[in-house]
Amino acid sequence: MIEQDDQLKEFYWYIDILQNVDVGLAVLDKDYSIQLWNGFMENHSGHHPNSTKDQNLFELFPEIDEARFRSKAESVFLLQSSAFSSWEQRPYLFKFKTYRPITCTAPHMYQNTTIIPLVSTTGEVNHICVIVYDVTEEAMYKLGQENNASLNA
Amino acid sequence: MSTPVLICDDSNMARKQCARSLPDGWPVDVSFATNGQEGVEAIKEGKAELLLLDLNMPVMDGYEVLEAIRAQDLETMVVVISGDIQPEARNRVKQLGAIDFIKKPVDKDKLTSMLLEYGIIDAELLANKEQQIIEPQVAKDKPSKAPELNKSESKDSIKELDPQLRDCLQEISNVAMGQAGDMLARLLKVFVELPIPNVNLIEVSELCMAFASVEDFDETSGVCQGFIGSGISGEALLILNDSSFGDMAALLNYKGQLDDSAELEVLMDISNILVGAYLKGLAEQLDLHFSRGAPVVLGQHCDVSQLLEINNQAWQRTLAIELSYAIEDYPIKCDLLLFFTEDSIPHLAHHASYLLDD
Repeated sequence: MIEQDDQLKEFYWYIDILQNVDVGLAVLDKDYSIQLWNGFMENHSGHHPNSTKDQNLFELFPEIDEARFRSKAESVFLLQSSAFSSWEQRPYLFKFKTYRPITCTAPHMYQNTTIIPLVSTTGEVNHICVIVYDVTEEAMYKLGQENNASLNA
Repeated sequence: MSTPVLICDDSNMARKQCARSLPDGWPVDVSFATNGQEGVEAIKEGKAELLLLDLNMPVMDGYEVLEAIRAQDLETMVVVISGDIQPEARNRVKQLGAIDFIKKPVDKDKLTSMLLEYGIIDAELLANKEQQIIEPQVAKDKPSKAPELNKSESKDSIKELDPQLRDCLQEISNVAMGQAGDMLARLLKVFVELPIPNVNLIEVSELCMAFASVEDFDETSGVCQGFIGSGISGEALLILNDSSFGDMAALLNYKGQLDDSAELEVLMDISNILVGAYLKGLAEQLDLHFSRGAPVVLGQHCDVSQLLEINNQAWQRTLAIELSYAIEDYPIKCDLLLFFTEDSIPHLAHHASYLLDD
């Protein structure tokens, strides 16, 4: 009984952490309908989880290159292994504002994204999770250095 | 016989909120004063058997009103209603003759039970539910409220801040900065002086002027932290003048040499307390939730103008809230500036409208 209570407590901690962690988490099904949307995604997109639930990802976010995203995600469904995208290939998946809209010179948030498979109890992958990392600081630093290098050359 | 009650507060929203918090069915004759001087005049005119007094006001603040009441031996019972919730503030007003202290925003039940406790109202009277509250000013202010806020929402570019929104943000900031000041006071074991928050819509070009007050000090260090949620985004910028570091570090009990990295730690600690507490207070009052980014050091030991030479093209106008904290008996001064993006304003107005609803 006590063990169950502890497990339940841990479970709520996990929920709380996932809701508040400074990383975006979105669960999608095979039709690319949004199934889960954490606090980071809610706050940065301005879309409440209630209004994103069962909505099509590409309809809600027209900035996403559907063909490319699909081909990447299909491989995750098929191979049951993660796929990665770096800001250097593609500056962002979701067009969010930077965290510091006043003092940051970036026009948008730079993002690294990882897509991980979510394996069901029956061993199938019917859902994937998109993890969005804000890498604006790193990108601005690197772009700044590259800029300086090209000026000096 | 109705009881003359005077509400003395510089914020229109706070006056209304306070008037609404008076017990139902209590026959009162409410008058309002917008600063201490008006308040003292009204007491002399016999409008204040009970005075509900704010501390933080222009012209003449609440402490000065209490002193005037004592010096001139004016007849009134004073309950202080303030966002400054430092224990020391509470002690001071009681020493100055206030019968009690209630924190903002006023809790109706608390005010009622307090008035009962002091025998200012009696329970029998409350059971008798007739509403005789005379609030001429409140009634007059009511109709214009909601449409005004909507008007500013429909405009693409907002040239001027709606006065009601300004008043509301000022009052909310007042309460939030009081909470932040209380944290700082407890941590440092000092008394924190809280000025009136300054809410303004400013252009990029004007931003430097907003910093003019900080410019007096040669060198400053700043930390900024972004926040976003419910369509509202912005940045909090904490500026500490370098001469404050020594005292601040001593108050925080930092041992050892105060080098750059130790100073940075002091700066980060202070900014985390003030920004965190302020945003928490703001979010709670407006019923929002913010994500906060990691804090970024903008510059250590640089000119303020340099610090601000940040990014000029990306935005045109910003809603700025300036809060200057000072610590009594120490030459410490730090400024907390909140900048909200222009597109956050309609969302702020929307959330604020719930508070203004009567």
